[in-house]
Amino acid sequence: MKRYLILEDGTVFPGEGFGSSIITTGQLVISNNRTGIEQSVTDPNTEGQIIAFTIPSVGSSGINRDFYESINSQCKGVVIGSSSLSTVDSSVSFEDWITGLKIPGIKGVDVRALSKHISEHGEMKASIMDTHDEHAIDQIKALVLPPDLVKRVSTRQSYPNPNMGLKIVIVDLGLKYSILRQLSYRDCNSIIVNYNSTAEEIENLHPDGIIFSNGPGDPQDIPNAIKTIQILQKKHPVLGIGLGNLLIALANDCKIEKLKEPHHESSLAVKEVASGKIDFVNHNHSYTLDQKYIGSSDFIVTNICVADGTIEGIRHEYLPIMGVLFEPEAAPGPTDGYYVFDEFIDLIESVKKQEGARDQWN
Amino acid sequence: MAKEIIDGQTMTRALTRITYEIIERNKGIDDLVLVGIKTRGVFVAHRIESRLKQLENIKIPVAELDITPYRDDKTHDEKDITNIKAEPLNIDINNKHVILTDDVLYTGRTIRAAMDALMSAGRPKKISLAVLVDRGHRELPIRADFVGKNIPTSQKEKIKVSMKEIDGEDKIEIE
Repeated sequence: MKRYLILEDGTVFPGEGFGSSIITTGQLVISNNRTGIEQSVTDPNTEGQIIAFTIPSVGSSGINRDFYESINSQCKGVVIGSSSLSTVDSSVSFEDWITGLKIPGIKGVDVRALSKHISEHGEMKASIMDTHDEHAIDQIKALVLPPDLVKRVSTRQSYPNPNMGLKIVIVDLGLKYSILRQLSYRDCNSIIVNYNSTAEEIENLHPDGIIFSNGPGDPQDIPNAIKTIQILQKKHPVLGIGLGNLLIALANDCKIEKLKEPHHESSLAVKEVASGKIDFVNHNHSYTLDQKYIGSSDFIVTNICVADGTIEGIRHEYLPIMGVLFEPEAAPGPTDGYYVFDEFIDLIESVKKQEGARDQWN
Repeated sequence: MAKEIIDGQTMTRALTRITYEIIERNKGIDDLVLVGIKTRGVFVAHRIESRLKQLENIKIPVAELDITPYRDDKTHDEKDITNIKAEPLNIDINNKHVILTDDVLYTGRTIRAAMDALMSAGRPKKISLAVLVDRGHRELPIRADFVGKNIPTSQKEKIKVSMKEIDGEDKIEIE
């Protein structure tokens, strides 16, 4: 069935539909992921997004249904060049899998031209439709994307992920399961709470450390979380990942800016400033921290992106606050970033030791 | 048989964390100086110094300290305290916050000797201690402020720290 990918600026890419046949609209993002497509499609950060994969043939390495990052698929649509019909070891092909998830897809699109167009003109809204007349284009132009993305993906009810170690409260802004996997691996006794939880509610859980997870959309749409951080950061170690890191910056009078070329790539080099070590990590963010404000703030820059010099990690000079914009939990992508979780646990332990020493002497 | 308990990557991370902790606990690092105890403590000092430079763009003075004349394993008769010929420190430590660095903290006797050496070179405002490994079994009331890794050991065991600068690779072994 012939379908069309229509961009906000009126550009039309014809292709062939697969998966669900509904009309869909969302923020179009270009992803350079080659593997881990399952993880990208089920990542809560892709809520409200139509993902265009630039890899020429999607799914040739198989679809692994054990690699989910959430229970329900999150993205609004997929755009691909072509896909492998059969795979060596997998019982399900990419297209059958997308059909099963009831996600609308379009194939046969010139993803190379699409990618160049977006990198020239910036990220924009897009729609997968059956027609491409003026009426359809007017519709997408007029459409306002809902700003409640975090609300839609955050857990409504708190739930535990019990273990015997440190008590970590995770504020779910679009939590990927791999963050929980990494915490479980480190014996953390975690409790996951709604994005709108107040500082008081979180304090009542008596956390050793608090994580603000990654998530979709603009951090300025969730001002309550910023206030919560301002209260909590004075008393507890805080780790921000992705959206969580942006919130930490906003809570401390730093500004954020939209990246001209957003980072949606499963393997992009990041340098650890202190040691000069290079890590290949998964990125999925459209915003970054404004360099001008970081200089005069109490933050030090701990990680930068090698390709374009954007800030990828910060740490407070004297409060136990740290954050990274990339995704240390990987999934998809290489696992170089796992050390961020070790660093956060070291930070908690060091705060506990200091507190212990104070109690002893006073 | 020697068994590797810490690899190069973990050692790198430990040094980075010590650097972050030094920044966090000092609220500004203007009056810091690093003094490394020969041999591997000097490399620890230089690695922390290069990290501070990358992060804060401040060059911290680094000195090497030879504690041999101050050791307490000579008898009192052998040692003539009034006639110690110490190598001079090449930096001013008066009124500075000295961070003493070493690879392994064990009985604490080396650190005591190092403090004697420092005191004879000037009057620091404060002395802190940063070590890569704390293996316990102190014989003196000494405690490290910054510890890379606590490794509980028995006194029969040996801890061997290797560093790239002198041993070709970063690792810590126990045997």
